[in-house]
Amino acid sequence: MSDWEPKIVTFLCNWCSYGAADLAGISRMQYPPNIRVIRIPCTGRMSPKFILTAFRQGADGVWVSGCHPGDCHYIEGNYYARRKFALFKRFAEHMGIEPDRLHFSWISSAEGTRFAEVANEVVRAVKKTGPASGYLKAA
Amino acid sequence: MNLGYTMKVVRIDKKNWVGDIENLSRSYRLFGPVKDDNFHRFEELDKDKLPDLDYFNTRLSPKSIVYPQSETMFEYCLDERKKDHHVMKEASKDYSQRAVIGIRPCDAAAFLLVKRNFDTPECKDPYWVKAYEATTFVGLACNNPHSACFCTTAGCGPFHEDGLDILLIDAGNHYFAKIITSKGENLLKAAGWDTKVDAGKEIESMKQNAETGITSFIATNKLKDKITADLFDAPFWEDMAFACINCGTCTYACPTCWCFDIQDEVHGCSGTRMRNWDSCMYPLFTLHGSGYNPRNTGMQRVRQRFMHKLKYYVDKYDNGIQCVGCGRCVSLCPVNIDIRKICNTMNSYEK
Amino acid sequence: MIEYINKIKEISERLLKEGIVDIIIGFRKGTMPMMNEPCFAKSPEDIKNLVWDSNCGINLANYLTNYSADRKEKIGIIAKGCDSRNIVNHIIENKIKRDQLFIIGVPCKGMVDRRKIVSIFEREIKEVTEEKNKIIVKSDGFEKILKKAEVLQENCAICIHRNPVVYDELVADLVEEQKDVDRYEDVRRIEAMPVEKKYKLFDDLLSACIRCYACRNACPLCYCPTCFVDESRPQWVGKSINPVDIRTFHFLRAFHCAGRCTDCGACESACPMDIKVRTFTKKLEKDCFELYGWEAGMSLDERPPLDTYKFDYPD
Repeated sequence: MSDWEPKIVTFLCNWCSYGAADLAGISRMQYPPNIRVIRIPCTGRMSPKFILTAFRQGADGVWVSGCHPGDCHYIEGNYYARRKFALFKRFAEHMGIEPDRLHFSWISSAEGTRFAEVANEVVRAVKKTGPASGYLKAA
Repeated sequence: MNLGYTMKVVRIDKKNWVGDIENLSRSYRLFGPVKDDNFHRFEELDKDKLPDLDYFNTRLSPKSIVYPQSETMFEYCLDERKKDHHVMKEASKDYSQRAVIGIRPCDAAAFLLVKRNFDTPECKDPYWVKAYEATTFVGLACNNPHSACFCTTAGCGPFHEDGLDILLIDAGNHYFAKIITSKGENLLKAAGWDTKVDAGKEIESMKQNAETGITSFIATNKLKDKITADLFDAPFWEDMAFACINCGTCTYACPTCWCFDIQDEVHGCSGTRMRNWDSCMYPLFTLHGSGYNPRNTGMQRVRQRFMHKLKYYVDKYDNGIQCVGCGRCVSLCPVNIDIRKICNTMNSYEK
Repeated sequence: MIEYINKIKEISERLLKEGIVDIIIGFRKGTMPMMNEPCFAKSPEDIKNLVWDSNCGINLANYLTNYSADRKEKIGIIAKGCDSRNIVNHIIENKIKRDQLFIIGVPCKGMVDRRKIVSIFEREIKEVTEEKNKIIVKSDGFEKILKKAEVLQENCAICIHRNPVVYDELVADLVEEQKDVDRYEDVRRIEAMPVEKKYKLFDDLLSACIRCYACRNACPLCYCPTCFVDESRPQWVGKSINPVDIRTFHFLRAFHCAGRCTDCGACESACPMDIKVRTFTKKLEKDCFELYGWEAGMSLDERPPLDTYKFDYPD
């Protein structure tokens, strides 16, 4: 198991965290390559379907990151996302998805360092939890 | 297949039942009713597991023994480095000899109705036909029918033999086994049942007794002469279909519903083509690629289900209705849509 | 509750006669014991067939949307507590206008769980009648009287909103609401389990599922023109009885009801396989209550929790 590396599907808001990932890259910061980034227009666009689909297709963790409260490009999208995600995380645990597989963060496009930090944290947490199989639709 | 001569009846002592089933399990994959909480269901019997014949009927019909809800037809590989990539290969399946022990006569008769669809001179469904032909049906006559059973007026009956290879009749300490086909004869040998008896009269009286126990009836005599368009446009559908929530319970529980949908599932480089039961109650059943749906409303879909069973089928096959009167849809429907009521309404409808 | 029926008929007749509504949505006697069939009444003839008893567990609010695409007429609807809360849901979700409805409120004393009653008896039940707090079960050669309180649907036994929330006319005086009810005992029990055990629990729970979608279709909240299970580009969930697909379906179906579910129990009572599907929705209901102090369908003036936010809610 020691050489197992988790796959983490990462949904980043176009207006902030996606930029932060970019900044982290430009600044040559180190973070693990386990994250697969999908750009979304706003965390408010997140649907529970996306998260389950990630798990069904082999993700071991899902990380959603968007703008700080108050900074949403669309004024309030991330406020809705916050509620949706809080409820989702609790429900996912009820349905057999460990809480350490789901992560939500606020990272602005200026916070490249923070992006790398959180990425490290997320990967560490998912790695600790091990491979996810409960919602994996096997071949 | 019917043996044609005076039917042979053997007596099976219940004391020897366990050993007999064990004998059978050596040459057959056995399926039978098993108790599961409040209900029975058909499943493949593991070694040493007996069919529970002290039952009324299973919650879902045994059609899945021959026609599983989800069935893989082909498998393929999309990895170009592998041999035979992009080639559809038939999924391997076990079509070895199997026997269903304790199927009710209505459910066995239902296979004959479904056969008209899956096994015709022009077209044979290989999966269904192979599985059906590999199966020997050992029926269990209904001594005590339930109040939702209406088999006698649906072209069937508690001691009905069509579709069965052997009919077991529970007579207290023993079963009578009536041998109906040569398949049944073979199973008889494998089980070692050979105590021939002359029980014709006894069976006949039990049969009559059971038939009088059927208290629910439908009238189908006028369906054939009705004009399809009249029934289709009849005003009663709005009222009949109102309660329907368009779930698939009736179609999935029904022993005679045969519709399926074919789907490809691809995961990474490996894919399967499978078929799953489908239901005319779902909007997706008829949705066109263009987005147009000819049966867009719930009422249209309810009408389709009953028109198919009670009119189109009647006209197409000239062999009764597409229903054996098992009563499952009546007792499982969440909102109590009752095929008996609808059938009688259709039968007596005058424009 | 059978005493309500005369009043229901009286109100219905008057509404139709005076042209206040064009149609009444209610129940008529079913053909099986403990079953009633949702129906509509447009004429005095139809009104005669209306019934009300402890077998009206199906949520009639469901019938406002399923067919309402072209339903422009004024509708009279018979509503118990949960039905009325789902009507509120429909109104705040803009599915129907309040002034299109005349709500005949029924203070509810709970519906019986027919599965529970069937499981008590070995033999087939032929007839079930009721009197006040008693349920009388008859079959060939036997009769047994059960206490209604012992055979209530599980959601009814823990119901704290038996009286309709909105109504235009009541069929009887409001009933006393149940107090000191522990609504979430079962959810807490599951919460205390380790994740693997939860997973196993739901695996067992869903093993009987045949994907007939009765739970979804009996639910008044499920009115999407195209359900996610029917979407094909992308296809979110497979169509087979693969356990992962079944699990995905139930997960997403339940989550779709988050903050909207009134625990009316229609899903559970509709399930032909006796799956306790409320096990999913109740968790969400509990969380919505704990996180946002929200109970669905209680007010026409408040937005549901996932349709609003507060700035200062901690993340």
